[in-house]
Amino acid sequence: MAELGTVTLHLALVLALYAGAGSVAGKLRSSSSLLLSVRRATYLLPVVLAVATLSLVAAFVRHDFRVEYVARHSSLAMDPIYTWVALYAGNEGSLLFIAFAFSLLSAAALALASRSLAGSLPYTNAILAGVSAFVLGVTAFLANPFQTLPVAPPDGQGINPLLTHPGMFVHPPLLMIGLIGVSVPYAIAVGALLTGDRSDAWVDQARTWSLVVWAILGSGLLLGAWWAYTILGWGGYWGWDPIENVALMPWLVLTGFVHTVMVQKRRGMFGLWNLVLIAIAFTLALFGIFINRGGPVPSVHSFGASTLGWVFLAFLAFSVAFSLVVLLVRAPALRGTAALEFHFSREAAFLFNNLLLLGVALVTLWGVVYPLVSQMVRGVAVTVGAPFYNQVNGPLFLALVFLMGVGPLLPWRHASWAVVRRAIQVPGLAAVLAASLLALVGVRQPVALFAFGLCAFVVAGVLQEWARGTWVRHRRGQNLVAAFASLVGANRPRYGGYIVHLAIVMVALGVIGSSFYGTQRDVVLAAGEQVSVGGYTVIYRGTRVETHPDRTEFFHHLQGMKGQRDLGPLVAWRAFYPDRRMASTRAAIRSTPVEDLYVVSTESLEDGRVVFRVMVKPLVWWIWMAGPVMILGTLVSLWPQRRPLVESAAGAKRAAVSAVPVE
Amino acid sequence: MVTALALATAGCVSPASPPSLEEQAQDLDKSLICPVCPGETIDQSQAALAKQMRAIVREKLAAGESREQVLEFFVKRYGDGVLAAPPKGGFHLLAWTVPPVLVLGAAAGLYALLRRMGRQRPRRGEATGGGDLEQKELAPYLARVDEELRLLLGPSGPGSPLPPGGKATGG
Repeated sequence: MAELGTVTLHLALVLALYAGAGSVAGKLRSSSSLLLSVRRATYLLPVVLAVATLSLVAAFVRHDFRVEYVARHSSLAMDPIYTWVALYAGNEGSLLFIAFAFSLLSAAALALASRSLAGSLPYTNAILAGVSAFVLGVTAFLANPFQTLPVAPPDGQGINPLLTHPGMFVHPPLLMIGLIGVSVPYAIAVGALLTGDRSDAWVDQARTWSLVVWAILGSGLLLGAWWAYTILGWGGYWGWDPIENVALMPWLVLTGFVHTVMVQKRRGMFGLWNLVLIAIAFTLALFGIFINRGGPVPSVHSFGASTLGWVFLAFLAFSVAFSLVVLLVRAPALRGTAALEFHFSREAAFLFNNLLLLGVALVTLWGVVYPLVSQMVRGVAVTVGAPFYNQVNGPLFLALVFLMGVGPLLPWRHASWAVVRRAIQVPGLAAVLAASLLALVGVRQPVALFAFGLCAFVVAGVLQEWARGTWVRHRRGQNLVAAFASLVGANRPRYGGYIVHLAIVMVALGVIGSSFYGTQRDVVLAAGEQVSVGGYTVIYRGTRVETHPDRTEFFHHLQGMKGQRDLGPLVAWRAFYPDRRMASTRAAIRSTPVEDLYVVSTESLEDGRVVFRVMVKPLVWWIWMAGPVMILGTLVSLWPQRRPLVESAAGAKRAAVSAVPVE
Repeated sequence: MVTALALATAGCVSPASPPSLEEQAQDLDKSLICPVCPGETIDQSQAALAKQMRAIVREKLAAGESREQVLEFFVKRYGDGVLAAPPKGGFHLLAWTVPPVLVLGAAAGLYALLRRMGRQRPRRGEATGGGDLEQKELAPYLARVDEELRLLLGPSGPGSPLPPGGKATGG
């Protein structure tokens, strides 16, 4: 198995190098047979890498401890189900997985665009193959997961206990695919730039792929938050940990891109800006992989420390230089073809949205690197943690929510103040009403009141847009349901976007609710004792202990009461791994849309008593529910549709413009 | 959604009162990093040292010390790195000032840029100065295309949403 793995890994590297070099040579020499051959190499790559990846999975499942990586990240005692995903418990396997996933994305991107982007595809293929070759080269020569030991140990060292959680099946792969996936829209955009393609085709492809990657990365982030919430045992879901930050940054920039790329599609503007954005997103994604896999910053995610840092840094520097050169050389050809009118236009709102999203991303980047700055300049170790980000990014996020409400209400191009006033009347009223209602029921925290008001503003704005559009169609004779369906169908990117906006509001609700309100108590309970927190009573009934070869599991049985109402039994689970001197917990959570009752056991004392942390966290439920809504919105946005008249007219305008000879 | 919100907050809002000692302690827990665990606050960490530090926080608050005094005590022992965020003073002021300067500066720049573009718009046919040749040359053609589009699509222009007020597109 190990030999098969090594051989296929090297074969994949050769294929990737061939695809990269062959694409460029084929394009320059206009050799269609060479181009066909390198395309086939790109299609073959995932097949070869599937063999490599499966042979690593097989080594884990069969406990082949002759393979060093398997011996370091698994053991006979571990839950067998997790052997299937233990391959990304450390650096080497993660890199292999990244390479495999990326080869699938590359092949899919190539296949989807093979007709519409025939001209620029070789360059796109070359960039994709270049990224593949880098990852494969590092994996093959510096971090080979198939390295064998001279003698197979009888048992492995076991997996990090924090990783044996259902989240392991989805969160790490989604994040890895999401981060490396940013290369796809980047490669499409830069490929078009290199060939001077000014058609709409690449904009469509880049938009599709950026949305796909955006949704994957977003889901990965949400699932990571959920994982942290259920397993880390402190009741939080987002810790502004460096690894979380580096995945958030490209996601934020992509969020900006999927907005302004629509402006490019509809109005032929921001072409250069969009390329800058996608290049920044790509750079930040590479930086994310570098921090993840090369790790110079301490993080709770430091599962596999490694010395790969400098290789990644060199590749990062090379990519930045490449992007800069391409942009500088090609920029003059990319001036926007339409003038931007100031006043209150949707384009201007998009620009400010980009500014804020990029602002949050760069501020977060500053927070991630500041400890290194302080260390280098002053030799003083310093931590940049949650209080910093909350204070600095908090206001920016609020401003973003506001723009998310206002932007969609503004017309394209130009609006008079009267039009703007009419558009924001109802949402504004809703915001004031919601804030007043909340103030009446006792919300006193001014920031929370303001933030909830903003959320109401966004929701009311979206509903107003839907209602108006539906009503217009209804008056033309459709029934209300059909009118709504045809409204959404007529402009899927826009109405899908509104659904995503609602999902973002849901996340915002949860974040605001749980950070401004909520109670927490740490208590020591003996069996039969109880504690009251925020209107809930938790009674500790007793503990069942299960002993396994590598761990002792404690099932703490609890009973929850809300006032006099019995909420039924709850189990707070905790396992102790003596060899690693590590504990892993699984919180008992009773979740409702209003609030979560959250109980986690943090320690079992020698006298049999147990230390519990009991929390009441308002509105957290909405954060998790936002995930499916976000995916639904993305799917609606992505669903292909025929081009409506208006759009092709706008396209014709741009075609007319580019046909004008320029001296 | 608004009703759920009202219910949610109604349930757990206490009338405005000064934070209890335990609430102050929990706030401090979230502001101090456990020196032996990478990137975890003493609120998050279950290491023995974190537990000890939590106990010290409570002891000191009970003895009447202020938040600042407690933080200072830990900084003296473990250095600036024990704080979850850099102190807002001295060299570390840099950490706090770069973000607002960056964002506000960019916002001001963008605003100025938009103003300039907005002012250029009405006299698009004239020389715009500053070597924007392509734009200048294109302007008359663009204006013509705009005009044609207007004739084709009605006064609302390409891509603009249905006019507010629920009327169908006027001709």
